[in-house]
This record gives sequence, structure tokens and C-alpha cells, in this order.
Amino acid sequence: MSFLFRCENIGKTYGGVVALKDVSLNLESGQVHGLIGPNGAGKSTFIDVVSGRTPGLGRVFFEDREITGISPSAMRRAGISRSFQRTSIFPALTVRDQIELANHGTGGGNTGELVEMLGLGAVLDTEAEEISYGQQRLVDLALALVGDPRVLLLDEPAAGLSVQESAVLSGHLEEIAERWNVAVLLVEHDMDVIFRVCKVLTVLASGRFLVQGTSADIRNNPVVIEAYFGSTA
Amino acid sequence: MANQTLAHSFRESPILRPSGLIVLAILTATVVILTATGSRITLSLLAQATIISIMALSVGFLARTADLISFGHAAPFGLGAYGTALVFQHGIPAEVGIWLVLVAVFALFFVIGLVVGKLNGIAFSMLTLALGQFFFVAVSKLRAITAGADGMTVSLPRSLFGLPSRTFQTPDGMFIIAAVILAALVILIYLFEASRTGRLAIGVRENEERVLFLGYRTKILKAAVFATSATIAGVSGVLFALYQGFVSPEIMHWSFSGNALIMAILGGSLAVWGPVAGALVFFFLREWLSDLTEHWLAVLGVILITVTVAWPGGMTGLAKAMRTRISGRERNGGGK
Ligand SMILES: Nc1ncnc2c1ncn2[C@@H]1O[C@H](COP(=O)(O)OP(=O)(O)OP(=O)(O)O)[C@@H](O)[C@H]1O
Ligand SMILES: [Mg+2]
Repeated sequence: MSFLFRCENIGKTYGGVVALKDVSLNLESGQVHGLIGPNGAGKSTFIDVVSGRTPGLGRVFFEDREITGISPSAMRRAGISRSFQRTSIFPALTVRDQIELANHGTGGGNTGELVEMLGLGAVLDTEAEEISYGQQRLVDLALALVGDPRVLLLDEPAAGLSVQESAVLSGHLEEIAERWNVAVLLVEHDMDVIFRVCKVLTVLASGRFLVQGTSADIRNNPVVIEAYFGSTA
Repeated sequence: MANQTLAHSFRESPILRPSGLIVLAILTATVVILTATGSRITLSLLAQATIISIMALSVGFLARTADLISFGHAAPFGLGAYGTALVFQHGIPAEVGIWLVLVAVFALFFVIGLVVGKLNGIAFSMLTLALGQFFFVAVSKLRAITAGADGMTVSLPRSLFGLPSRTFQTPDGMFIIAAVILAALVILIYLFEASRTGRLAIGVRENEERVLFLGYRTKILKAAVFATSATIAGVSGVLFALYQGFVSPEIMHWSFSGNALIMAILGGSLAVWGPVAGALVFFFLREWLSDLTEHWLAVLGVILITVTVAWPGGMTGLAKAMRTRISGRERNGGGK
């Protein structure tokens, strides 16, 4: 079968330090693919290189067309969207204004449904700097979701959320992937979220590919447990 | 659908709210009363202060919209002023010539904006300082065109834009003309901010990276904001040349850029009107202090430092703090 989004041999060196080396990974429509690994494993670097935020090595294909090295704005207009580990929104704009901004930039989509799903209706006319952190994370997610992207690269969307908020978020992610038929890459430290929504997981450690498998495989894989908790490294 | 959203957002603009319209009405009445009752000297100061306010507005617009601090806005101001002088010298029809000058300023700074678009913070400020000095030196040296340090007389034709030329050179005439232009520019900036492009500009100021990842290209917008700001300074320069009837390289000196920046900072950038208020206060404070003491510059410096330390947001910051306090008190009162 052919994958919607393919990343081949992605790599990145920061001034002599290898942050990421030869990581390949494919995303399929309607499915959440988890990317996990300890701190500094290279997860964010992977998304940064693939999304064109930072130059790096490797090749990226979307619908079998090579899109390596295209600009972030071209990537978004092609239907590939991302979020950021650090909340990346517009503090001085109201929630409505920034969603409207995203809507126009991406060519439009169903913002009403999105606002309703994420429960942002009550804060639409509030400046983003005035709303709670949890809501800011949702605005960040909303900005990534506007315009019906086909591929969604999410960098720790649950970071800093409460247990309840994370559970709600998991529900949204499942819905986004399945109902909207989006190919999702999910970087996340919250294992409850990961094991609930991901069909497939890729594990990185120290910038290298470690193992890939289904959630059940990974959960009990001694190599993964070693990478996370081991002291031999 | 899209138009509907836009119309909605324009209605949201503070300038179109009843409070904004009331302020406009009060300001209009003030201008009329001042024109009717003010002495010739007062009106002359008011005319100059209003022209300088437009200059401060240009610097403040860039600071507010793009978070960029220009140390070189004397350049577009001077180009506007010299351009006007040259238009008259060469007998180019003024109604066309002045527009051409402003279009040229816009085009020049648009191109510069495209080139320096990646710079921000101190790097941008230093570059504008250098650019400003470049134009200052160029105007001083190009004696064949600008008469160098001697300066140029601006000889107005008999009538201009359908008005007798005298109107532009009498204090009350220029005060009204400059005030109308200033008000129009402030209103346009308010409307711009409520427009989709305006909000995109604010988005770029707040978080350019995210804007790129929302599918926008920002280069042209940033250059256009820079060029618009420069063109507003150019308008100020045109009015200056018309009113003074004389231009010389001093008006392009970096210290003039610095003064405009101080006015903008004094006013603050939390509201569009900030730089205008800052310019008026600065201008009249300077007039008053220089009558009072020989050391007015030092006194002015101390006052400015105190004000900016006490209220980092300048006068707009003060206004916002007062508004928050008043509304806070109302809220507390209502709770009891
Ligand atoms: N801008 C940078 N300059 C230098 N080194 C960097 C930079 N960004 C990341 N690194 C290094 O690259 C490696 C991978 O970092 P990355 O942020 O991708 O890890 P991560 O898996 O996302 O970690 P976390 O779970 O903490 O977010 C780390 O060793 C990090 O120190
Ligand atoms: Mg990370």
C-alpha cells in the first residue's frame, strides 16, 4: 500500500552534535502514529526538519510527490500542518481573530465545527493572553486544525494539561484522525494519551530509530523499557 | 461570507464606537476653537506641532504594527520635503508632483523593506540609523540638485490643490490642513488594524513563525508596513516644506529621527493615538522649558526618563492603567 506522507532518512546536526540520524517513518490517513522517546531523543527535531522549520537531511513525500525543502507556508497550503511544543499563538489577538486568520491563510474550512469540538465558544472574543493555559493549548491545536489539513504533526499537545483535559484531548485526536481522515503524527510524553489513540508507535532514543510496532508491542518491549528507564546507557 | 466578517470587524474598530466618535467630535471642536481664538504665535506653534505629530505617528505606527524601532525616519521626512522643493523648482504641476514624491518614497522604502525584512531589534534600528545618515550625507553633498548646506527655497505656485498657496503658509491655514490630514491618517490606521490585513500584520508582529505555518507569506506585508510608515513620514515632510518654505539638510539629521522616536516612546504604542499625544506634549514642553531655562534640554531629558520609567507604556500605558483601575473599581462596587 502507499502512504500519504513519507519521511526518509531524516537527520539533523547542530554544530557537530548529531540530534537526529536516519529516521524514516510513514503516515497513513485516518491513523495516529505515535513518536515517543526520552527527553532529547530528537522528536521535536524530527517534526522541525520534516515541516521545514529548520533545514536538515532526508527526503519528504506527500501523495508520492517529493516536497523536501518547500517553505512552511507552501507546506501548509498543501495540507500539511503542525503544532509546537511551546505554545505558539497570538497573545494580543482574540481567539476568534486568530482562528479567522488561520482560516484565511489556509484557504478555509469548517471553523464553526472546530470551535465547538474544542469547546472554545465561550472565549471566542477574549484575547488569547487572557485565557487559561489549557485553553491556550487548545487554541494552538485549533490553529493547526483549521483548513482541513491532510497531515497533522503534533508536538506534545497534552503538555501541561490536567488528566481530565488530556483525556478530552485524546478523544479529539481520535475523532480528528478517524472522522476527518487525517494522517496524524503525535509526539507525546503522556503515555495514557499515546496508548489510547495510537495504532502504531515509533520509538527514538538519542537521535536514532529504536523500534517500531503496535501499541501493545511497544508497551512490553524490553528495549523500550530500557531506553526510558535503563541505567546502562 | 468573507465580506460579512470584514464588515463585522470594521464595526469593532474603536474609532467607530460611540466613544471614538465622541473623541473625534471633541477634537474637531478644539481645533475650530483654537483656530478662532488662538494668537498668531500659538497657531504657528500648533501648526508645527501637528506636522511633527504626523512624523511621530509614522515612527509609532512602525513600532506598534511591526515592533520595529526606526532611528532613521528623518530620511523619508526629508525626502518628502526635498521632493516637494524640487517639484516646485522644476515647475512640475504640484498636484501630480507631490503624489509622485509620496509614491517614490513608498517605492523606495518598499524595496529597502524587502532587503532588510529579515532584520529586527537592534540590527534593524542600527540599519535605519545608517540609512538615515546616508540620505543626510547624500542631500548635503549633492549640491547640484539640493544646493547642499545652503538649503532650498520652496517657491509655491499661486494655488495648490485648489487652495490659494497662502493657506499653506499661514499658521491657521496650515494648522487646519495638518490637523485634517493627521486625523485622516489616524482614522485610516484604526481601520487598517481592524481589517484582515491589519490583523495579519499584528499576527506577524506577535509570532511571525506561526503566521508562516498558517500558510502566509510575510515578506511583502512587512515591506509594505515599513513603506507605509515611511510614506507617513514623507507626508509630514511635504507639509513641513510647504509651511516653512525652506528645506535644508538639518531636517535629515539623525537627531531629528531621535526626537521623533522620543515622541513616539513618550506617547507609547498601546494605542494608535499614542505618538500624537507624545509629540504634542514633547513639542509644547520643549517650547515652555526653553523659555524658562537655558538648560531646557537637560530638564526635558530628566522628565522623559522619569515618565518612561514610571509608565513603560508611555502615555497610552498610563491611560490603560487608569482605565483598568476605573473599571476594576466599578466591578468591585457592583459586587457589594
Ligand atoms: N536549536 C538547537 N541547537 C542545538 N541543539 C539542539 C537544538 N535543538 C535541539 N537540540 C538538541 O537536539 C537533541 C534533540 O532535541 P529535541 O528537542 O528534538 O528532543 P525531543 O525528543 O523533542 O525532547 P523533549 O522530549 O525534551 O522535547 C537534543 O540533544 C537537543 O539538545
Ligand atoms: Mg521536543
